[in-house]
Amino acid sequence: MSELNSTLEHPTYNYKVVRQFTVMTVVWGIVGMLVGVLIAAQLAWPALNFDLPWLHFGRLRPLHTNAVIFAFGGSALFATSYYIVQRTCQVRLISDKLAALTFWGWQLIILLAAISFPMGWTSGKEYAELEWPIDLLITVVWVLYAITFFGTIVKRKTDHIYVANWFLGAFIIAVAVLHIINSLAIPVGPTKSYSIYAGTVDAMVQWWYGHNAVGFFLTAGFLGMMYYFVPKQAERPVYSYRLSIVHFWALVAVYIWAGPHHLHYTALPDWAQSLGMVMSLILLAPSWGGMINGMMTLSGAWHKLRHDPILRFLIVSLSFYGMSTFEGPMMSIKTVNSLSHYTDWTIGHVHSGALGWVAMISIGCIYHLIPILFGKERMYSTSLINTHFWMSTIGTVLYIASMWVNGIMQGLMWRAYNQDGTLTYTFAESVAASYPGYVVRVIGGAIFFAGMLIMAYNLYMTSRRDVAPQAAPTAAAAA
Amino acid sequence: MIQHTFGLLVKPSAQWRTIAELPEKSLNTLVLYPCIMAILPAVAWYYGTSQVGWTVGDHGDTVRLTTASARQICILFYLAMVTSVAIIGYFIHWMSATYGADSSITKGIVIAGLTATPLFITGLVGFHPVLWLDLLIGVAAISWSVYLLYLGIPIVMDIPEERGFLFSSAVLAIALVILIALMVSSVILWEYGAAPAFTD
Repeated sequence: MSELNSTLEHPTYNYKVVRQFTVMTVVWGIVGMLVGVLIAAQLAWPALNFDLPWLHFGRLRPLHTNAVIFAFGGSALFATSYYIVQRTCQVRLISDKLAALTFWGWQLIILLAAISFPMGWTSGKEYAELEWPIDLLITVVWVLYAITFFGTIVKRKTDHIYVANWFLGAFIIAVAVLHIINSLAIPVGPTKSYSIYAGTVDAMVQWWYGHNAVGFFLTAGFLGMMYYFVPKQAERPVYSYRLSIVHFWALVAVYIWAGPHHLHYTALPDWAQSLGMVMSLILLAPSWGGMINGMMTLSGAWHKLRHDPILRFLIVSLSFYGMSTFEGPMMSIKTVNSLSHYTDWTIGHVHSGALGWVAMISIGCIYHLIPILFGKERMYSTSLINTHFWMSTIGTVLYIASMWVNGIMQGLMWRAYNQDGTLTYTFAESVAASYPGYVVRVIGGAIFFAGMLIMAYNLYMTSRRDVAPQAAPTAAAAA
Repeated sequence: MIQHTFGLLVKPSAQWRTIAELPEKSLNTLVLYPCIMAILPAVAWYYGTSQVGWTVGDHGDTVRLTTASARQICILFYLAMVTSVAIIGYFIHWMSATYGADSSITKGIVIAGLTATPLFITGLVGFHPVLWLDLLIGVAAISWSVYLLYLGIPIVMDIPEERGFLFSSAVLAIALVILIALMVSSVILWEYGAAPAFTD
C-alpha cells in the first residue's frame, strides 16, 4: 500500500488522505446501506431479527443512520473537502500528520459505533446516539479537522476564498457547535450517561441539533461539494456567483431556527412550534437558490451528457434536492404535520434527501475523483457508471413512492373515527395494511445497495495498475 | 383529438412527430385536451367512491363516501388535474429558452396535457377502487407518462436529444414538486372543509 501511495503521490497536493477517505466512502456506503436493507426487510418480515438482541431493529437502526450519515457521508465530506480546499487554495494541506490523524481517528470512531450500537449502548438521542467516551473522541478529531481545513485556507496562495470553502467551513464550525452542545451529559459509567438538559429543553436541544445535522452536515457540506464538482464536471463557471453568496448567508441564517418543527403538538410551547414552522417555510428560498444555481450551471453542458453519466448523477441529485427541500417546508406546516408526523411519509422524505441528494451527489463526485486519485484518464468502465446511475434512480423512486403511499394511508387510518367517537382502525391494522409498501421499500433499497457494489467493482478495477480503462465511451453509445 | 390518445399509446414516436408539425391553430384547440380528458378520472372516482366503495386491510366493511362528499371531492380533483397540467405547461414554456427551444404557453400546456394521457386513461380504474391494484396500474401509467415526456420533449421542441434529456428532467422535477403541493393541499383542505364524509 505504501508503495502504491508513493507512486501515486502528487507533487504539490496531499492526495493520499483524499484517496483513503474516497475508498472508505465506498466501503462504508456498502456497509451502511446493507444494514439499511436488513432493517427494511425486518419491518416486512420481523423474523429476520433471528431473536438475537444484536440484530434487533432498535439496535441496528441507529447503526444504519450513523453509518450512512457519518461513515459514508462523513468520509465523502472529508475526501472532497480536503481535495477542494487544496485545489482552490492552490496549496498543500498544512500538515500530512494531522490529516492522517483525522482519517484514522474517524475510522476508529466508526468502528466503535459499529460495536457499541449492537451492544445496546446508546444515549437515546437520535443521530447522536453514541455514548460520551466516543463523543469526546469525535470532538478531538473534529477540532483537528477544523485546524487542518482552516489552517490550509489561511496559508492559501490565492486572494479569493472560493464559495465551496465557505459552505465547507460553515459545515465544520456548525457541526462542532451542535455536537458539543447537544452531547453535554453526566456520565454514570463508561457506557451510560444522562443529558444535562431536562424534559422539554432536552427535546428542543436534541432537535435543534437533529435538524441542523441535516442542515449543516447533510446540506451545507454537500453544497460545498456541489459548488466545486458541478462546475468542474460541466467544464463551465458557476451560473451566478452572487446567488451562491446570497443563498449561503440566507441558508446559514435561517436553518438554525427550523428545529422545532420536529416537535409539533408536543409539550414545546406553541409559539416555538409556530416559529419553527415559519422559519422552515422561509428556508425554501435559500435551498432553491442552491438548486437553481447548480441546475443552470449544468444546463449549459447538455452536449456532454451522452458520454458522461457522472453529469446525470449530478443533475438528478439536484432534482431530488429541489424536491425534498420543497417537501420539507410543506411537511413543517402544522396542519400537514398533524397527518404526516410519525408515519412513513417522514421516512420517505428523509430518503429522498439521503438517497436522492446526498448519496447521488457523493457518488457523482467520487466517480469524478477516483481516476484523478489513481492516476487514470477515466473510470475503468463508463457503462457501469451508467448502470449504477439507473439503479440508484429507480431504487430511490421505488423507496420514496412506497413510503408516500404508506405514510398517507397510515395518517388517514390513525385519524379515522366512527360516529360514536371510537377509532375505526387499530394500530396493528395500519401495520398490516403497510406490508406491501414495506416490501416495495426493501426492493428499492436493495437495488440502490446493489448499485454500490457495482461502484466498488469499478473502483477496484480502476485502481489496478495492470488493467487499462475500457474503450472510450463513444463506441459504447453508438451500439 | 382522440387519434392523439391512441397514437401516444400505440406509436408514441410517430405521434409526437405528427403533433410537432401541427399548425398553431390546432395547438390552440388541443389546449382543451386535458380539460376533456380529466373528466374521465373524475367521473370514474365519483362513481367508485360513492357507489362501489373500497376496503382497507382485513377490515371487512366496505367504505363509501356520501354522494355529496364524493361530488365535492371529485370536482376539486378535476380542478387539481387541470390546474396541475396548466402549471406544468407554463413551466415547460418558461424553461424552454434555457434549453434553446421555441415555445409558447399554449405549446407547453399541450405537451403537458398529452404527456398525461396514460394517467387520464388509467384514471378509469376509479370505477373499481382496490388500493394496491390501482397503485400498480398507477405506477405503470406514471412510467409510461415519463417515457412519453422524455420521448416527446426533444421531438416537439425540436432540440437535440441530450438537451431534451435535461429539459425533460427539469420538467420531471417540477412535476414532482407539484405532486407534493397536491398532497399537501389535500391534507390542508381535509382539515378546512373538504374532509370526506363516509356512509355508515
